[in-house]
Amino acid sequence: MQMDFHYYATYCAAILAGYSHEESMDICYSAQFVDLCSKTLLGKIGAPAQAATTQLQLELMDGRSDLLAVQESTSIWSSFHFLPGNLHKEKNRRTKLYMDKYRLVCMPNGELVKKTVQLAMGQSLQHVGIAMHVLADTWAHMFFAGTPSLVINNVTTGDFYEMKEDGTQSRIFFRHNPSVPDDPEKNLYTNSLYQSSETSVMNLGHGRAGHLPDYSYLKYRYLPAWSDYRMVLKDNPSDYMHAFCQMIYALKKLRAGDDDIRTEIYDTDAIAGYEERIDGILKKRQLIACDDWKAFGEELSGMAIPDFDIETYQEEYMQAAPDQKEETFLGRFIRAALAQKRMVCEEIQSTGNLLTGIPMRRRKKDKK
Amino acid sequence: MTRMQRVKETGFGILQILAALSLLLAPKDTSMAVILVIVGISFTAAGIGSLWFYFTMARQMVGGRVSLYKGIILFEMGAIALALTDVSHYYILLYLIILHAFQGLVRTLRALESRRIGAESYKLKLTHGLLDFCLAILCIIFIRQQTTAVLIYASGLFYSAVFRIVSALRKRSFIYIQ
Repeated sequence: MQMDFHYYATYCAAILAGYSHEESMDICYSAQFVDLCSKTLLGKIGAPAQAATTQLQLELMDGRSDLLAVQESTSIWSSFHFLPGNLHKEKNRRTKLYMDKYRLVCMPNGELVKKTVQLAMGQSLQHVGIAMHVLADTWAHMFFAGTPSLVINNVTTGDFYEMKEDGTQSRIFFRHNPSVPDDPEKNLYTNSLYQSSETSVMNLGHGRAGHLPDYSYLKYRYLPAWSDYRMVLKDNPSDYMHAFCQMIYALKKLRAGDDDIRTEIYDTDAIAGYEERIDGILKKRQLIACDDWKAFGEELSGMAIPDFDIETYQEEYMQAAPDQKEETFLGRFIRAALAQKRMVCEEIQSTGNLLTGIPMRRRKKDKK
Repeated sequence: MTRMQRVKETGFGILQILAALSLLLAPKDTSMAVILVIVGISFTAAGIGSLWFYFTMARQMVGGRVSLYKGIILFEMGAIALALTDVSHYYILLYLIILHAFQGLVRTLRALESRRIGAESYKLKLTHGLLDFCLAILCIIFIRQQTTAVLIYASGLFYSAVFRIVSALRKRSFIYIQ
């Protein structure tokens, strides 16, 4: 997902859930900041690098390619962008090596998304924003894993078809030229190069499918590497609508302090009267829908939504005294990010999967 | 390609250049055996690696059988190279011809595939593939002369090293996930 959904649509969801304009701004700023809080940025403001919620392109390209680097990447991408749907999923006659990666495939309505929302209960608005980012991405990024893996994340690029509303389908084409923007009219999109190395960064997340999961208007079917030769359908307009309504449900629960969180519940009542408007935004054939979501958000609250500025809270954090940093906007964001990462990594490690690192208690046992 | 991979590829390229130079400077009798041992060990190791990947993971993946075929072919090529140490240089040259022709074919096909999907890097791959073909043709022309065969193989190693280093230093397209 892009800024249109993580920033503007999250603002709309927060307003519809009953938050004030100021509270909604804090939530949507934090949701969008998840895509920008890299080690490089944290280094610049003097914050702990462990709180990184993303990796910049250059950090990935110039990083190491050993097991520790894979663990670092997996702990970031699985915790914030590709939340695993089912860590106990079974598939016959597979090696543990394979299953460890297969179980990291992102899916909505999993046990971890419930735990993510529960973890934000009674916490800061920054924590709520992070939870909304994670929840929304489970819909956009489903079928891909937050670990570099050819056997999971590769796709057959010759087998991508856009499903049109009139029932017809048209072939989607890929190229590897990132300097040219995607061309929805010609169905021509950029994707990462095929790399036969299992842990190449080119095989991280949905890179091989380009930005297709990020465009809300696209409905397409394709052949993922993990699917046993069965085509899967990705209906972005429907998935994004589900994400939006599930965010409203979760936000209402968080606002009320009700920790009885359930999956597969979508607050469609909250968007009564707005369905066509939202559907129109989601289905509009455009690469980014910021303007439409912004206009909708401003109509809902009657307030102006400022453009996202990455530097808004950096000075506050840098100027704060060491014992006051935790109380700043970014201080609260960092504390929430660390809690989310710890929770997800511990859940993954508890299944015997070491792709996000070795659990502390096992390290202590090994030392003895 | 990560920084470590770039360093590894560049280092491997430099080693290939050193191997090419040592082949040119080594006594004629031993140079052919050296070629075969280098080729044999490299291909066998790569073949085993690819087969391991297939049996542990790629077996379950759509299109994963490519790793099996790749592993078998590489392992076979390595085994043949190691078994050829005491046969006539005529057969060794024949083997080198097949090897270069096969590499050239694969690289040319990959280059054409890259061109079809809009990659900018296809020209470099196409040049690499065509040079492999040229070396195969040269091997056929000079099939009866051992010194020439060594020279051809050394030049093959040298240009392969140059391409490896150039590839390692080139920019790659990469989808940044949000």
